[in-house]
Amino acid sequence: MIPFDSVAFFANLAQYNEAIWPAQVVALALGLAALVLLFARTTWSSMLIAALLAASWIWMGVVYHLQHFATINFLAPVLGIAFILQGLLFIWTGLITRRVAFGFEPGVAGWTGLALAAFAIAGYPALAWGLGHAWPELPAFGVAPCPTGIFTFAMLLTTLGRSPVHLAIIPLLWALISGTAAYFLDMPLDIVMPVIGLSTFALIVWKNRVQA
Amino acid sequence: MHDAYDDHLSRRALLASLGASLGAMGAARLLPALAAPANRGDPIMRTIPNSGEAIPAVGMGTWITFNVGEDVGLRNKRAQVLQAFFDNGGRVIDSSPMYGSSEEVVGYCLKRVENAPPAFAATKVWSLLQSLGEGQIEDSRKLWGRETFDLMQVHNLLNWEGHLETLRAEKAEGRLRYIGVTTSHGRRHDEMAEVMRTVPLDFVQFTYNIVDREAEERLLPLAADRGLAVLINRPFRRKELFHRFERYPLPEWAAEFDAANWAQFFLKFIISHPAVTCPIPATTRVDHMLENMGALYGRLPDPAMRKRMVDYIESL
Repeated sequence: MIPFDSVAFFANLAQYNEAIWPAQVVALALGLAALVLLFARTTWSSMLIAALLAASWIWMGVVYHLQHFATINFLAPVLGIAFILQGLLFIWTGLITRRVAFGFEPGVAGWTGLALAAFAIAGYPALAWGLGHAWPELPAFGVAPCPTGIFTFAMLLTTLGRSPVHLAIIPLLWALISGTAAYFLDMPLDIVMPVIGLSTFALIVWKNRVQA
Repeated sequence: MHDAYDDHLSRRALLASLGASLGAMGAARLLPALAAPANRGDPIMRTIPNSGEAIPAVGMGTWITFNVGEDVGLRNKRAQVLQAFFDNGGRVIDSSPMYGSSEEVVGYCLKRVENAPPAFAATKVWSLLQSLGEGQIEDSRKLWGRETFDLMQVHNLLNWEGHLETLRAEKAEGRLRYIGVTTSHGRRHDEMAEVMRTVPLDFVQFTYNIVDREAEERLLPLAADRGLAVLINRPFRRKELFHRFERYPLPEWAAEFDAANWAQFFLKFIISHPAVTCPIPATTRVDHMLENMGALYGRLPDPAMRKRMVDYIESL
């Protein structure tokens, strides 16, 4: 039931990228800053990371889904609201109730998180470029859902103590939706999304059990 | 998106495609022999039972294919597809508000085609609430750039009781010519049959193709009994029929009903059912449009040949 093909998708993505330029550069800088903040391991650094993730999800909900992709996707309003909700969950959990503390801890989850963050920032866009989607068709980190979803999983793996599972639900649902796009839109790169989503979700649950 | 079917164009389609492509560039007049296949006769027409109006037996859908958003390059390519559709005898265009930007792109393309006959404009109302449907129909009028729709259908039977009330009122005011209901993918045939039996309609639309033939059992005979025109969606199961059968040779006997390629084989199977009015295949490509519209000409298979077609497909 995806109402557009890959040609229309990338044409729309190109228009989105050109319309929001240079937001991609800002998002990249903020993503790198979030990585550095992981090592600060303070209350303020954790709150800043939560704020950056919230801003990114709300941006994608409003600008990517509701403004740009609503033109070609009748599901965009639903997706837009879900992305905005995810941003509000980061604000609630990371800034208001402070039930999540982002910070790097060596271990399976921590190192996996760092690797996923690197993949989200550089690997995913590079692979997309290698598959023929050069600028402006590039799904850019921080402003396009797939690399940002991967980065969100990375951050949820790099927490001090338990990682709130509810923060991983919407990213997981998006990862599964993206997996269907890999099949229906002939976008092989997005096959990594359900793999990353499901394995990260399992790793978060395992991490929480180990630390319980 | 590459479609292996794209690599197996018939010579006739290739020549016609070349002609159409040149035509789209304004050079068709220089190569009339390529741009217009000769001696193909009159197009196959079907009659709308409620009015006796004749429409061409092959139409055009817009699901996915015309949903290209604001991209001007893609919109202009769709205008070429629409031009090829009209140039080869097509008139019936079907869309829906559910199809993203498709209605807007159809409106864009209709303003750019040349020497086109009047389109038979068919779209749908698709909303849970009847009150939202009226505004949606108005939006569709603006997007298509027309005051009157030839056919307005309730999409996927969504709140059909409420929307049909609206459509009947608009038809009485002369703002719609025909009304109908749709379903697809073989879903909700029980409800569809009930609506067909009990509610005054002009058109119905559902899925029928050489693989999905459930409609032969109930919906198509019921449409004939009730005097309803029938639009057929998913005539190729999107692209699946080509993916499944393109590797096999088109049987030589397909020439007996003037099918030169698989597209015409599949479409002529549908058109030759006596209760069918018009399948609405969708495409993004001029060469595929030319193949589809080739089914609008020549002979059709008789009942014995239709059985042979099914047997052949089932043997593959």
